[in-house]
Amino acid sequence: MTSAWQEQLAELPRYLAGHVQLTLLALAIGLIVSLPLGVLATRKPRLESAVLGTASVLQTIPGLALLALMVPLLGVLGATLKGWGLPSPPSIGFLPAVLALALYSVLPMLRNTVTGIRQVDLALVEAARGVGMSPREVLLQVEIPLALPTIVAGVRTATVWVVGTATLATPVGGTSLGNPIFAGLQTRNLSAVLIGSLAAAGLALALDGLVRTAEIGLVRRQRGRVIGAVVALAAIGITALVVGTNPGSRGQEGTSREVVVGAKAFTEQYILSEILGRLVEGEPGYGVRPMPSLGSTVAFDGLATGDLDLYVDYSGTVWATIFGEDTTALDRSEVLAEVGRRLREEHGVHLLAALGFENTYCLAVRGTDAERGPWSKISDLVSAAPGLEIMGDFEFFERAEWQALEAAYGFDFAGERAMDSSLMYQALRTGEGDVISAYSTDGRIEAYGLTVLEDDRRVIPPYDAIVLASDAFVRDSPGLAERIRGLSGRIDAAAMRRMNAQVDLEGATPASVAREWMAECGQGCAGSTR
Amino acid sequence: MIECRSVAKRFGETTVVESIDLDVPAGELLVLVGASGSGKTTTLKMLNRLIEPSEGEIRIAGRDIRDSEAHELRRGIGYGAQRAGLFPHMDVARNIGVTPRLLGWDPARIADRVDHLLEQVQLDPTIYRARAIEALSGGEQQRVSLARALAAEPAVLLLDEPFAALDPVTRDALQQALLALRTELGLTIVFVTHDMGEALLLGDRIAFLEAGRIARIGTPAELLADPGNERVDEFLRAPRRQASRIERLSGDSS
Repeated sequence: MTSAWQEQLAELPRYLAGHVQLTLLALAIGLIVSLPLGVLATRKPRLESAVLGTASVLQTIPGLALLALMVPLLGVLGATLKGWGLPSPPSIGFLPAVLALALYSVLPMLRNTVTGIRQVDLALVEAARGVGMSPREVLLQVEIPLALPTIVAGVRTATVWVVGTATLATPVGGTSLGNPIFAGLQTRNLSAVLIGSLAAAGLALALDGLVRTAEIGLVRRQRGRVIGAVVALAAIGITALVVGTNPGSRGQEGTSREVVVGAKAFTEQYILSEILGRLVEGEPGYGVRPMPSLGSTVAFDGLATGDLDLYVDYSGTVWATIFGEDTTALDRSEVLAEVGRRLREEHGVHLLAALGFENTYCLAVRGTDAERGPWSKISDLVSAAPGLEIMGDFEFFERAEWQALEAAYGFDFAGERAMDSSLMYQALRTGEGDVISAYSTDGRIEAYGLTVLEDDRRVIPPYDAIVLASDAFVRDSPGLAERIRGLSGRIDAAAMRRMNAQVDLEGATPASVAREWMAECGQGCAGSTR
Repeated sequence: MIECRSVAKRFGETTVVESIDLDVPAGELLVLVGASGSGKTTTLKMLNRLIEPSEGEIRIAGRDIRDSEAHELRRGIGYGAQRAGLFPHMDVARNIGVTPRLLGWDPARIADRVDHLLEQVQLDPTIYRARAIEALSGGEQQRVSLARALAAEPAVLLLDEPFAALDPVTRDALQQALLALRTELGLTIVFVTHDMGEALLLGDRIAFLEAGRIARIGTPAELLADPGNERVDEFLRAPRRQASRIERLSGDSS
């Protein structure tokens, strides 16, 4: 088993390159927008409040939300463009991240441009006009040079903000230092979290230091300093471009088709995406671009638009979240067949394989509580609910399943608390809450002595793990698609639980667990046992 | 050289300058005197369109000042203000050379011109050429400002209370320097001040402004002989008293 540190350090240049590309491009776009807009605002006072107001509102949107909003926004834009017969932009990955970050960087640079120009002594502006400068010359030769230190201070603020916020590009599919942070949090790999965080902090300090050097040079009118700082920034940018010509990609040289393999943000997803990745890499001429830690709908949207090729979802999730269907009393195989048909017909997405296990949302309690209850079914909880606190992952309380559970059982918990799913089990174990929305394949249920309550009113739909593929992938790579179909029924719930436990409880990495599984599965997944 | 016909300036309801008629012949130094708010600075700034007149017509060297773009007009007219208005991000030489640069002069010609001007305002080029503005005293700043106003060899110079913030010794030195320069260069100068003493010392003629009108215009001798106006008389009282006191004291001691 490779040590977690080594594995993370090997990937670091890729994450760092992606992060630098995102940051510098976003800042460049932000600056190109802010400078002229700021200048315009000082010329047209009525514009000033509108422009600054808009930028301030954008700033109050939490970074993650702004990034997430870009995905459907680009989706709509793409659909419109497609309608006019034009090529549509990717709705996930680098583009939405860089656009959101650019928007995020506008306010400090815009505000400082306006302030900087406003605080130029009016007597100097009049002197400039008096010696014969045109309005343009007054701006370029007097106002902007005198405002420059203030403008650069704004660039510094924006730089630090953007470096920090760029870690949130990961859930929308942008490769950044957020990749090890998100994945590390989910898989209890603290070395990954630490490496990602330290690298981001170091990058923020380095970029800020360079911009500061430029600032000092401008204030003291030392051209050498300014040029040195700009050259260093350019060198960092170029290095990032060279190191990560394609920072998301991990394929070997000479790959003809790059397959984008997505994963949502939890352990099982990382393991399964590694297995899919290895299958793809086993095919000659194929490379993989991992897109881990995606938001649930981000992944599906990406698949539908063709920006993502493969990922694992769950039949019940598609049924409830994508189709918006009622989830009570469903038959497992019926749902599977229906999901496959409707995905193909309505979304152009292919269901390649049902892996053979279900990972359903289930309600779990401490084993000791279950005995004392005694609770074995969800209906047993109803009378006790007003004295209990329920904890769920970030999605759970927004999901149709929770609404269906509430409607069917009519319980009224004392409190609802959303938290990161990786922390939820530990919290229940240490007695911080009483009930959690567990995942049925989670290795921690057994390890922590938790009891899963039976869904006796059959509210929660079946959650077969299914490999979904984009239409383009199936068309371009029929052989590989066939290979993936071969995964049907090959992973049962016990196997999945064991693999999850290895990562969550024993400190293995998803990659090493996937490698082991591939080795064991032998001829069944031919060509993948390198 | 400068002709104003019925020139007026209104800001909304407020009339700042009300119908000024004025002729400044070539080579004359005309001083505009008046209290704060009398309209003297506004009148001056209308001459190079830093303020656009609301009414009337202004001609310089026979041409209506509205015939060319405002900034092009200003490149041909020297301008200096009370707060010297030097650009802090440029050194002395770049400040003086600003208008020639805008006019696209050859850099070598500008460098020669800058050195020559520094000598004319009695600053050693080798010392001052590369000085930062913040390292200059108030008097030095005014000298540089004067050099900048003269840089593009204008025939007309507009000066807005250039020496008001200086100590008396420095002010006297600069007044003498200005008088020497105008004779040497044959400049037509309009000079704004609120100090009647300065007006009497410098002006070929003095125009006294009150409430946006020229209340009295004439040579210093004419004004002294016949103030013609209560306010003019009031303004003349202080320099007169100063002069007679000095005369008396000098007489006593001799």
